[in-house]
Amino acid sequence: MLSLQEVCAESYDAITIEPEVIRITGRNRQTQLLITGHRKDGTLDDLTSQATLSIQDQSVATLSNSLVLGQTEGTTNLTVQLDSFQQSIPIHVAGYQNYPPVNFEVDIIPLLTKLNCNGGGCHGRQGGQNGFQLSVFGFDPATDYEALTRQGRGRRVFPGAIEQSLIYSKATGLVAHGGGERMEVDSQDAELLREWLIQGMPWGREGTPTVQRIEVTPPLRSMKPRSLQQLRVVATYTDGTKRDVTRASIYSTNMEIIADCNAQGVIESGKLAGEAAITINYMGHVDIARVVIPQPGVPTPVRPKWFTDTNRIDDLTWNKWEQLRISPSDLCDDATFLRRLLVKTTGTIPTAEQARAFLMDDSPDKRARAIEQALVSDDFINYWTQRWADIMMVNSATIGGRSAYTFHRWLRQQVAENRPYNQWVYDIIVATGNTGNVGPANFYRIQRTPEDATKTISQAFLGIRMDCAQCHHHPFEKWGQADFYGLAGYFNGMKRDTLDENRELVYHPGHQAIAIPVINQAVNTRPLAGPPTTADNTTDPRPELGRWMTSAENPYFARLVSNRIWKHLLGRGLVEPEDDFRETNPPTNPELLDHLASALTTSNFDIKQLMREILNSHTFQLSSTPTDSNKADDQSYSHYLVRRLPAEVMLDAICQVTGVAEEYAGHPRGTRAIELWDNQLPSYFLDTFGRNLREAPCECGSSGDPTMAQALHLLNAPEIEVKIQAIDSSITQLAESTLTHEQLIDEISFQTLGRPPTSKEKRIGSQLLSTEKRRQGIEDFVWVMMNSYDFLFVK
Amino acid sequence: MLNHSKSNRRDFIRMGSIAGLGIADIMRMQHLYASEQSSRSDINCIFLFIVGGMPHQDMWDLKPEAPSEIRGDFHKISTNVPGIQISDVIPQCATVMDKMAILRGMTHQDSDHGRGFHVMMSGKKAGAGDFNGNQNNNQHPCIGSMVSHLGSPGVLPPYISLPNFLNSGGPSFLGPAHGPFVIDSDPAAPDFSVRDIALPTSVATRRGQLRQLALKQINQLEEDAEKVSKQVKSFDTFYEKAYGLMSSKEAREAFDISKEPEALREAYGMTSIGQCCLLARRMVEAGSRFVAVENGHWDTHRKNTYSLKDLLCPAFDQAVPALLNDLEQRGMLEKTLVVITTEFGRTPRINPLAGRDHWPNAFSIVMAGGGVKGGQVIGATDKQGAEVTDRPVTPEDMVATILYSMGIDHEKVLHTPLGRPVPTADGGKVVRELFG
Repeated sequence: MLSLQEVCAESYDAITIEPEVIRITGRNRQTQLLITGHRKDGTLDDLTSQATLSIQDQSVATLSNSLVLGQTEGTTNLTVQLDSFQQSIPIHVAGYQNYPPVNFEVDIIPLLTKLNCNGGGCHGRQGGQNGFQLSVFGFDPATDYEALTRQGRGRRVFPGAIEQSLIYSKATGLVAHGGGERMEVDSQDAELLREWLIQGMPWGREGTPTVQRIEVTPPLRSMKPRSLQQLRVVATYTDGTKRDVTRASIYSTNMEIIADCNAQGVIESGKLAGEAAITINYMGHVDIARVVIPQPGVPTPVRPKWFTDTNRIDDLTWNKWEQLRISPSDLCDDATFLRRLLVKTTGTIPTAEQARAFLMDDSPDKRARAIEQALVSDDFINYWTQRWADIMMVNSATIGGRSAYTFHRWLRQQVAENRPYNQWVYDIIVATGNTGNVGPANFYRIQRTPEDATKTISQAFLGIRMDCAQCHHHPFEKWGQADFYGLAGYFNGMKRDTLDENRELVYHPGHQAIAIPVINQAVNTRPLAGPPTTADNTTDPRPELGRWMTSAENPYFARLVSNRIWKHLLGRGLVEPEDDFRETNPPTNPELLDHLASALTTSNFDIKQLMREILNSHTFQLSSTPTDSNKADDQSYSHYLVRRLPAEVMLDAICQVTGVAEEYAGHPRGTRAIELWDNQLPSYFLDTFGRNLREAPCECGSSGDPTMAQALHLLNAPEIEVKIQAIDSSITQLAESTLTHEQLIDEISFQTLGRPPTSKEKRIGSQLLSTEKRRQGIEDFVWVMMNSYDFLFVK
Repeated sequence: MLNHSKSNRRDFIRMGSIAGLGIADIMRMQHLYASEQSSRSDINCIFLFIVGGMPHQDMWDLKPEAPSEIRGDFHKISTNVPGIQISDVIPQCATVMDKMAILRGMTHQDSDHGRGFHVMMSGKKAGAGDFNGNQNNNQHPCIGSMVSHLGSPGVLPPYISLPNFLNSGGPSFLGPAHGPFVIDSDPAAPDFSVRDIALPTSVATRRGQLRQLALKQINQLEEDAEKVSKQVKSFDTFYEKAYGLMSSKEAREAFDISKEPEALREAYGMTSIGQCCLLARRMVEAGSRFVAVENGHWDTHRKNTYSLKDLLCPAFDQAVPALLNDLEQRGMLEKTLVVITTEFGRTPRINPLAGRDHWPNAFSIVMAGGGVKGGQVIGATDKQGAEVTDRPVTPEDMVATILYSMGIDHEKVLHTPLGRPVPTADGGKVVRELFG
């Protein structure tokens, strides 16, 4: 809250009141005020809750806090007073005698949605709740009207006795309701419902104006910690009229800890600096109010000299820190950089030799050269093939070994050639042929129905989750059933002829439109928001889809993959989850995401070039140790985000350190986990640390969440101990060498962590080595280092 | 009248408004209800899953009046509760009938093992797809994972599964942290041990302690707590828990079934089901919230009578009464809910191979302890044991009942990573009669 001192009117150059004239037309209408102080330094304060408000003629209009409510037809004035500032604005109340005709679709459905009556957890659930079923989020108003007015033996609505209508008595808590009291008897919402009942539960007139769009003010505001900001939401209808819907809208935040918003449309900021997006929803129309809470009491940070402006990414992250008034951490040291670089790009920790050579190199461009080496290494190919195979769900359990191997090998070739991303994705979309030889054709061996193919290409290549849209139009999302089946039409009629038990012939004999099930309504086959297909029933329509999807103009395609790469390298997506792009899930740094996407399209979808730019940025190379200034930040990349080694990488790292390979059935000795094409090979380690299950088109199956079994396995697994104690392990070499204790500690530290030991590690190492049994001491120190957080995590 | 169930709470409120009780009275009653819910939060569950399909008409719900091709070869016997009769193939169970409640009206619609497993493990009907060996419940978390997510943790993992992973026993969208801690070996085997809970044999105890001590120092988080990455902190918690388990003699010994007196082991029976039940008791005793036990090979499509009489029921009939008696003697029965459940029942008519096939329309499950009033039968089936005629109970109801019994809000809504709300028990209702 602002202190009294700050609120004195003299602090402001100007104080503005929105709206300038209040017009209330109809008994259920209302107007939210927004009073803003403009400080001399250009900053803005919300004074709505600070100002003293009064209405001259209270028989015409009254106030509920800063909301103006009509009382009767007439004209009066509202006076806003703050200190020495005073201003009046006119109020016109018209059409107040009659409650405007209530329309079921326009008024009642949004009310049921707002009160969450038709939510998936309540009556919107399949089968309803306690015998009363509504369509989820009101996607089927006609059926809901039927359910309310005709079913339930007429007990749900009772125009003669409103209090006995279950819809009213349950929702207001007059009668016990499993879902609790959803609204208060004297609320506007309750009045609306009463009016609908009084008017005889009308469906509503045809041609009733519907909402065209909603608009929130202010759309962007910088706030102080623990302060308030009133929002105003105005809906524009198809007939051009406007209505204040501040109190009828639904508010949700993407960062509760930073800022939340209540049902009155008041944003309350928390104590932390950061950014939040408030999503405002009214009748399926969405707008976003963004708030930035800069670090309080801190001057705008000064850009350090080393944080040069040669990389556009750094400029864009810097802008964000400047807004938030946080400073970045220092650059990470060379050892940390090398390990981070190699793990993220090649899935491999540095060897002791690699690390030593890198640290000894004192040329100024050594980081850039290390990046080039990583990007052309074989391990880069192995590791990224496996990542793409995860997303493509290359699962030998679902498509068999031959198909999985063929698809994996094809993906490997694309990565090895660094083929432009849009080209190989296009090849997948239009894939045709024998799944035994044609790698990408296996995509359709995995995606067997038009619906599955639609969901997968949407999520994997466009970052659009269509799961909800298959069945209903989600109120917070743009895409509905017609969009879903519009896409599904491209895959309808595809053939999969069995050649033998391991192979199919995949082809598309020609376009066949698809209909939305249940309502059985035909839809045009078309890309999202695009024109209908021109393909006929003898032409494969998929090339048209492929061209639309993979073009540089597609607003989703390049952005999704850029965000995916960014998340992989930096630990957090600009949009999070990385493949869930929605209006209601905005990026934390839109300019940066735009830049990455345009860099990718400019380079003709060269994924390595995009990685190169990111890896060379100072932002990627920051230390993970936060400063006092940025310790609370985990979404603007002011320090590097620490992540656990993925399952395959960690297992390979243990094998590399001990020099004892894991054995995989049917694979040559020495095969590493990042090289595996078969995700079904039995491995307790990979299962426990979470390899990707390849059951969904995302990286979500490979979870980094810790479990008890993981901790126990690292501490006690006989399988790991066997490697440590093996005769042919690298530990034997160390034990048999002439290295002194000090040298051993140094060598083990380089092998495990790619850096010289810290003083603590030296102390503990020499304690462990000071046993009579040289080998046992070495084993113990290796064990300790392989269980250390510096080993298990990428810092 | 002071029956602290939710519908009764509502009844009170309704009655309150009629009878003129003041708000304060109602508030007090709601408070009573709330405190009663939380007082259940120390109730743990042993969830015994009979895999293959437990034949209701041969064990819990006999139909002696039916023609021979339906009634089968077993006979009714009296139990220690007057008026309740069960099968002569499980005579020892008849001696603990006073502790058990039989739900004879179980019903659902899936006659496939994988799908039956899914609905009985999670309370959620399986959607499209193959559910056999479903590791990560693609539809809904199983009960154990929900307990792990919603309940309060202890030294032992909150959800343990033995002697293997149970089909559809996965966490689904709740994530791997809420998957089961799987004891992947049979406690009846002579070389039984639980993996990774103790040092490997090649590392002597003292040496292991030295290593741990060194590791603790290396991993000591020296930075200001606010600056330590959440990921590291979270792993640190699990290392702490692992140390806790390894260093707590009680916790570690809970896994060591050889600590039980030989006589008690014999009383449970030296069988998989016997030793699993005993180990499960040790787990809940040491603080695990939910222990799922699998007992297999009940899919009697052939030679039903022989299989039950000679192969399956003897071990079952020894283990179950031993568990209930043991829990009672230790004063744990009131705090331990025992559920004996299955994918489905078996067909009324005996098939040409002298077996019975899958029958989800009507079957029986059993509950005991954890506040369940024993010595009662809830629900009934028709003369052939084919359809439920009284008090049907769905898998959703079963899940709601288990969660309720454990002091967990069964009406709570979970959220998937997509933000989709999913009710825990999918609208299931608590079987109030169970709790007297």
